[in-house]
Amino acid sequence: MDFAFTHKQEKLGKDVREFIANNLTPGIREEMGGDGLEEGKRGPKVQELYKKIAERGWIGIVWPKKYGGQEGSRIDQYIVEEEFARVGLSVGGAGSGAPAIMAAGTDAQKEYFIPKLINGEIILALGFSEPRGGADLAALQCRAVRDGDEYVINGQKTFSTSAHHATHIYLMARTDPDAYRHKGISILLVPIDAPGITIRPMYTLQNNPKAPAGTTYATPQTNEVFLDNVRVPVSCLLGEENKGWYVGAMGLNLDRVGASRYLISVRRDEDIINWVKHNKLDEYAPAKDDAIRDRLAELWIEAQVSRLMTMRSMSMVERDMPFNYEGSAEKVWSPEHGIKTTEMVTQILGPYIQLMNGSEEAIEKGIFAHNLLASWVSANNHGGVQIMRDQVVRRGFGFPRGY
Amino acid sequence: MDLVLNEEEQFIKKTAREFLEAACTTKLIRAMEDDPLGYPADLWGKIADLGWLGMALPEKHGGQGLPLSYLGLILEELGYAAAPVPFHCTMITALAISQFGNDNQSSEILPQVVKGDMILTWAIIEKNPRLLPETIKSKAEADGDSYIINGTKLFVESFNSSQKCLVACRTSQPSSSNEGISLFLVDTKTAGITEIPLINMAKEKQSKLVFNRVSVPKSNLVGKIDEGWPIIEQILDTGTALLCTQMVGSARKQVDLAIEYAKVREAFGKPIAAFQAIAHPCADMIIWVDGGQMLTYEALWRIDQGLPASVEVSQAKAFCNDKCLAVGHHSNIIHGGIAFMQEFDLNLWFRRTNAMTMKLGTSFEHRSRVAKALIDQPGYVRLGASMYELADSP
Repeated sequence: MDFAFTHKQEKLGKDVREFIANNLTPGIREEMGGDGLEEGKRGPKVQELYKKIAERGWIGIVWPKKYGGQEGSRIDQYIVEEEFARVGLSVGGAGSGAPAIMAAGTDAQKEYFIPKLINGEIILALGFSEPRGGADLAALQCRAVRDGDEYVINGQKTFSTSAHHATHIYLMARTDPDAYRHKGISILLVPIDAPGITIRPMYTLQNNPKAPAGTTYATPQTNEVFLDNVRVPVSCLLGEENKGWYVGAMGLNLDRVGASRYLISVRRDEDIINWVKHNKLDEYAPAKDDAIRDRLAELWIEAQVSRLMTMRSMSMVERDMPFNYEGSAEKVWSPEHGIKTTEMVTQILGPYIQLMNGSEEAIEKGIFAHNLLASWVSANNHGGVQIMRDQVVRRGFGFPRGY
Repeated sequence: MDLVLNEEEQFIKKTAREFLEAACTTKLIRAMEDDPLGYPADLWGKIADLGWLGMALPEKHGGQGLPLSYLGLILEELGYAAAPVPFHCTMITALAISQFGNDNQSSEILPQVVKGDMILTWAIIEKNPRLLPETIKSKAEADGDSYIINGTKLFVESFNSSQKCLVACRTSQPSSSNEGISLFLVDTKTAGITEIPLINMAKEKQSKLVFNRVSVPKSNLVGKIDEGWPIIEQILDTGTALLCTQMVGSARKQVDLAIEYAKVREAFGKPIAAFQAIAHPCADMIIWVDGGQMLTYEALWRIDQGLPASVEVSQAKAFCNDKCLAVGHHSNIIHGGIAFMQEFDLNLWFRRTNAMTMKLGTSFEHRSRVAKALIDQPGYVRLGASMYELADSP
């Protein structure tokens, strides 16, 4: 066991922090945080900053050199990702699509998608969930029918969060209606501008008022996507036909761990402790309240567990070990911890936490209030916590399926 | 950064698991609960032969000089096996002597410990069980070449089988330079010590000791006079981290028993593991025990590196206390009524895990130490960064 980063890795973290301090100007911050941070959206100043980050070799660290990456270690990637994620910038260049393309894509697909996914030119919108298939994803109804050199797609997708600024949909569709559930599913990389695609916004609890910069899950909008006789060439198929379930799983597993997942769940612990240390509400000092001190310590300890679970996952990835149950465990513990923290904050700061962005008397622009709402998302996206509990015991400990 | 156990660590753990599975049966555990000595001498001998007692002690005294984290793996397995041996109390006392004792003390005592010929224990806690210097009221007063000890100690483990006991006494009033506490190695057969057994949940040997004009030679002082408190803090930190490993092992056994039971016990025509009301608590238990294990390993690893670790120790103990108690509760519910029956094995671990949550600091005490580090130090906290020197900005 080894609980420290190497000196080289410590230096890397320090370099990134220095870079951020010197380059993340108020102008860029303003462009990023104007009316809530929408994932994937990059203005001209932010795009310029990304070029500088790329020059340092900090984009796509774990990806192969021939696809625009650095072939560096997963831990290095984690360190860089964490520093940038703390200021609202994503440099992982992944999401759940990229690892799946890397694992199952053709050479042509890899050459086309990976470099552009890393530099942000390509943004994939997740097209998995349907109105009748979220937790039970294998029940999905969206159909893709082979017609010569094309697939014809019909169906409806929901909670496709980046669809309104994505370039492609990373789509799961049924290609064999007679096969048993997950055995008849394929993955297609569908250009967003293909005729027959309609995107309809679904507004989230963060829409009105918009969440302040730094909020976790600040996104004011997700989308429904309707596919009506959408025709795409067969070259859009990722991996083998009817093997899409397994292709998708490769990406989702990696998506559940990592710096951003961890930070989503623990930033509020740091924020509330640092706030309590440096602020009072008139003469009331929560920092001197023994009940609050005890709860803050409890939250902190749980956050450490969250950090250690992420470090365990990173260690396993670094050693090329497959996840047994560890990724799913992280996706139970960390979001539920994050929820507990946002709830605890309400009882530490009381009526102030009702106050949203833009309100008189709101603390830190209402970020704690917006995070309380945001915490609802974290329990349910990318695999709800109850589904994850099923996976922990079924995959890790051989439990029978009860349904 | 590598949280996966390396080959050597895995080997130590696997060997210990296999040895104890064969050597430490539930029959033996039950027998020792009613045994006047409380531990099987032949098992102790085998443990010495395996080198566990010398594992973390210096090579010059017959030990192997390996890291504490290795010793932690052994204690985790002793916890998993509910092994009725005075390992923890012997180890933390021996480690204190190796670190703070003089050459005479170390060379007399440690080789005997390594060979399994000497059992040690410690007596710090008194009526007020909090682990603070002001709670120590037993007095030692100089009298010629001796110190005379008067006072009462509580919750002393395996005193009946120990040859020596490390006793904390007040030798002066606290001053600006020290807490006025000193440590003495006391021969357990010394006249004037009355041992009163405490009947406890884990059914282990635990005592109240009354010292009435107990005379100890001055050469038995460990460390410097009046300067014992920093030594005690280190004993408590190391002891707590090691106790956490044992508690994690013991809780892990309760999880494994629950999982095993859920798969074979049928209700409504299927194994109860197929019901999510059973499966999900199992997932939670796994997550909690993993969490306690990682916090504990981190604390031990830091002690091994010579890094400050008191915050990490307290993080581990507070978490293990709460979550290991909760593991017991879940495991009980999954087992149903049979869990309450003496002849069913679960209670062997349930009682021991619970007892460990109460020793060496409650959750409140440990969280109070964590809160102090988080809140009362100047600066800003950040996960993954030092807890001993906080950052100037968020």
